[in-house]
Parts: sequence; structure tokens; C-alpha cells
Amino acid sequence: MSESKHTDQSRRDFLSNGAKLAAGVTLAPGVMLYGVAHARPADQPASSSVRWGMLVDTNKCAKGCNACVTGCQTENGWGAAGSSDEQLSSDNQKAQWIRKVELRNTATDSVHSLPMMCQHCETAPCVDVCPTGASMKRADGIVLVDKHICIGCRYCMMACPYKARSFIHEALEDQRAHAPRGKGTVESCTFCVHKLDAGEGTTACAEACNTEGHKAIIVGDLKDPNSELSQAVSQHATTQVRADLGLNTGVRYRGI
Amino acid sequence: MKPIKKLLNVLPALLVLTLSAPATAGDNEGVGPNIPAPVKGEQCVEDTDVMRKNHMKFLMKHRDETLREGIRTKQHSLKECIECHVPAKDEAQATRSEGEHFCKSCHMYTGVKIDCFECHATVPEKSAMFHPLVTPGMKAAKEAHQPASAELLNKLAAEKNNTGAIQ
Repeated sequence: MSESKHTDQSRRDFLSNGAKLAAGVTLAPGVMLYGVAHARPADQPASSSVRWGMLVDTNKCAKGCNACVTGCQTENGWGAAGSSDEQLSSDNQKAQWIRKVELRNTATDSVHSLPMMCQHCETAPCVDVCPTGASMKRADGIVLVDKHICIGCRYCMMACPYKARSFIHEALEDQRAHAPRGKGTVESCTFCVHKLDAGEGTTACAEACNTEGHKAIIVGDLKDPNSELSQAVSQHATTQVRADLGLNTGVRYRGI
Repeated sequence: MKPIKKLLNVLPALLVLTLSAPATAGDNEGVGPNIPAPVKGEQCVEDTDVMRKNHMKFLMKHRDETLREGIRTKQHSLKECIECHVPAKDEAQATRSEGEHFCKSCHMYTGVKIDCFECHATVPEKSAMFHPLVTPGMKAAKEAHQPASAELLNKLAAEKNNTGAIQ
């Protein structure tokens, strides 16, 4: 599952551009029909012609607003708003699929608020270090933990530059049917993979943010040039957190 | 040697059948695990004997396909097992003791160590009342709103032919 870190990025870009061209069908000169990424039938595997990504506009993200976090908790059953919250663990041990972070520029004193979660890296360090292959990347770019074979060693937690993963220390009950989680395994943001596979095309955090009216999170297919996400990413200057690591994250930020 | 080998091969299946037979027959109260009847549906996705012997193989294959590749067919999905075999919390049959779970009761009786339910939900989230298998009205409503794709294509093709004929 893991890909070599030394892959020539320019060659990869060239190949993915080729795939983009191949994915489109020319109807007439200048008119292209692209396959609809969201309508994947249940018996078809996730395709590498899709790469799920997210753009967080920190200018729209409100300070003190926690809607994305509670939205994720309710959807996936973790934390205080979730159905299978840990009862015995201390707060710094508890699950943390997504958290709010405030950044202050010491020179200008400007404060930006943003949600931080698994960045769904193309070359994910957690996948590289996993001794069992439990930490894995799906064909469509979503990084997941296969808890069936996770041995709970927590190497991936050490390797993740974003502190995106957490470990479950106690037996749990009342998990959500689509989000199994249990003692002795590592977990993190799943990019609401159950929603994407069902064709909903969005995540719980983005929905919660839209409900609050902030509309700071755009979810979409980075490989589909017509998606709202691709349009936004091509129009505005966006940042990858710790871009110096060359991980090519699926989650990007605007305004930081 | 050969007949003995054959006997050994069928032994696990025989054992399972013998152990669970009293529960389905219902005449030997207190013998064998108490396996609750399914909440909905009359026929399992596979024959009962195949399921008794092989359900773990189906589940193992399906879990890898689902998690790693994103294939979400319903036939061998654990979530669907639970949907049919276990009542939701808000249903009448839900007042049950811990040991009366369709999967757990047999696993406990046979001393199976693997436990899907340390992580997976033990009860369905929605009541079976609205499931098309239970309520014919719901099934009819669903068909009206979501016709099968073949049906829809035929309908569209027929409409196209009609327009052709008029012209």
C-alpha cells in the first residue's frame, strides 16, 4: 500500500494529468464529458481516478465555533457528543479525530482559527511506519486504519506530523454501525468514507460548518477539474500544513 | 486413513448442526445456546447450513473488500446480519438479556474467542418496522420512487421508440 517517498513528483504529476485527459470523453471540440465520480456502484472498488480532498478557508472559520468537531463526534460516535465516548480515560488520552486550533502571528497579532485532522497525505508517514499494514491508503487517497489487523503499537501516532491519530484505551459500547471503534486500536479521521461511498459527496464536518452558515469547508475530488474544490484550489492561493515535508496532503488551507 | 480424513472434514459442520439444532427445534429447552429468531425476513442471504459453516469466511472476505477497496455490497456485510437478526433498541423484542444476542449467544456457547462486537455495533440503528422486508407498504413506496435500473432503461427505450413511431 505504501508508496516510495522518492517517487519523482514531476513524473507523477505528468502521469496523473494524462489520466485526467483519458478520463474525459470529447463530445465536440471544446466540450468534454467527465465521468461522474460520485455515482460509484456498491460493488465497484474505489478508483484512483478520484482523489478526495478538502479546502478549509480560515478566513471564514469562526473563532470559538466548534461545530465541525461536534458534527464529527455525532456522526462517528466519539467524544462528548458521540454515542461511544470513553468514560475512564483522561482528556488528553481521549479520541481526537478533529480538533480546533488557533494560530497567532507574533508579528501582526492576527489570530486564525482552523480545524486540524488527518490530512490524508499522498505519501503518508503513518502508512510507511506501520509494521502490520493496518495503516493504509485507499485508491482514492483516503488514509485509514484497518483495525482488524492493528496491533496498537502506536508507531503511526509518533510518525504523524499533524498529531491526527489517537488510541483507544478502554472497552467501548454503542458504537455507530458505520464507524466501528474499539479498545487497543488507533483511529483517526476517516474522511467520512461511509458517506462518500454512499455517494453523499461530503463529510460531517463540512455539513456542520455549512449548517452554521460559515461554509469554510469545501469537500471534493481534486482530480476532477470541474469540482467546486478543484475550481477553488486553482483560483486561490492555498497552503498545505508542513508543505516542507512533501507529503502532498489532501486537506488544504486558505488564509494561513 | 481416507474415510477418517473425510470424517474429520465434516466434523466441524456436524458439531455446529448438532449444537444449534435444539435451539431451532425448540423442544429441548435449556439445551444448547438460546438463539433468538430473526427480526425480519424469511430467507438468509445463503442457505442456513452454508451460513453455519462458512459465515466467518464470508465476513472475513467482505471486511477486507469493504475497508481496503471500498466495495459496499450488502450480501455478506456484518451490518446487514445485525439488521435482520437483532432488534433495534426501540423495538418490542429489544427487552432481552445480554446473552440473547443472535451472534453472541452461539459464540459464548461454543467458546469462540473472536469478538466482532468489541468494535462493531451490536444492534441496528433503525427499527426494522420501516424495512421493506417487513412492511410491504414500504417496499411498494420504495419501488415507486426508485425503480430498478433495467426497468427504467426499458421504459426510456420504449418512450424513445414511441417518439420515433410518431415521427
